[in-house]
Amino acid sequence: MSVLTIASSKGGPGKTTVCQLLAGSLAGEAKLVLLDADPSQALSRWARSAYEGSPFETLAEPDETRLAHLIAAKADAADLVIVDTAGFGNRAASVAMTSADAVIVPTLSGEADVTEAEKTMRLIEGLARAARREIPARVLLNRVRKTTLARHAAAEVTAAGLAQFNATISDLVAYGEMTYSGRVPTTGVAGAEVAALIAEMRVLGWAPVITASREHVGS
Amino acid sequence: MKNLKPRSSRPTPEDALAIATQTAPTLPPARLNVDDRPTTLNLRVRSTTIEALMAVAHGRGLTMKQVVCQALADAGVPVASADLEDRTPRRKDSGRAGL
Repeated sequence: MSVLTIASSKGGPGKTTVCQLLAGSLAGEAKLVLLDADPSQALSRWARSAYEGSPFETLAEPDETRLAHLIAAKADAADLVIVDTAGFGNRAASVAMTSADAVIVPTLSGEADVTEAEKTMRLIEGLARAARREIPARVLLNRVRKTTLARHAAAEVTAAGLAQFNATISDLVAYGEMTYSGRVPTTGVAGAEVAALIAEMRVLGWAPVITASREHVGS
Repeated sequence: MKNLKPRSSRPTPEDALAIATQTAPTLPPARLNVDDRPTTLNLRVRSTTIEALMAVAHGRGLTMKQVVCQALADAGVPVASADLEDRTPRRKDSGRAGL
């Protein structure tokens, strides 16, 4: 029903980590499909070899033509399709953003990271204009430390007029451990951060909302 | 589970590809698929079909292969993007052929 693309024209801001966190947290409550458009296939390898949690379908497809058809087919069959993209400007990422109902643009706090996040957001604006449809997008600050640098990065994103999440992802060991253990954090600071991000996404309509009856069934 | 917020209509795969290409025409593919080597497809069709295909290709300024592959893509076949391009070899001095 809904397509969420995780994109950035720079490598290393945490796109795959965000996909892992969202997939592991939402799989138990929605029919989820992960599409891995990054040729490194880090996400699909993690889902296949390490992930421990409620199951979801994962497909790797870096070819833009096949990806476009795959997104359309899976969007009709799943509650949520999450697309991970490669960390450089490429055709598959552009197609995934054009086909998306929402885009998350993770970024680190460095100047080059924020600049690339802005470039990605401008590209999304251009794709939305060409498609004549709204493609809402938000910057997500990742690997945040409680420093002046992180506050400056958030201010730079705001100054550039870019929408950003109130939620942030900190520089925590739990996220790195998840890539090996396959267990998505649900407790502690990491669990609270992921919950805050998903809660914000639900308010935006970017993530499924559980009704009382569904919660009852699951309890 | 509550439905997600209503979305504006998502573009078709063909439209998404066209929009992405038009908006950022210089972006490279995510992966150069070196294993996806070109090979040959032989089709036995009537002469009139060939003539019609030639006429359409000439009229659109495309190769016959492009016309066929574009029609397949429009029909939902996931055609490799390389097969939608004109890759006819060109002589370096072809621009002076008429001189």
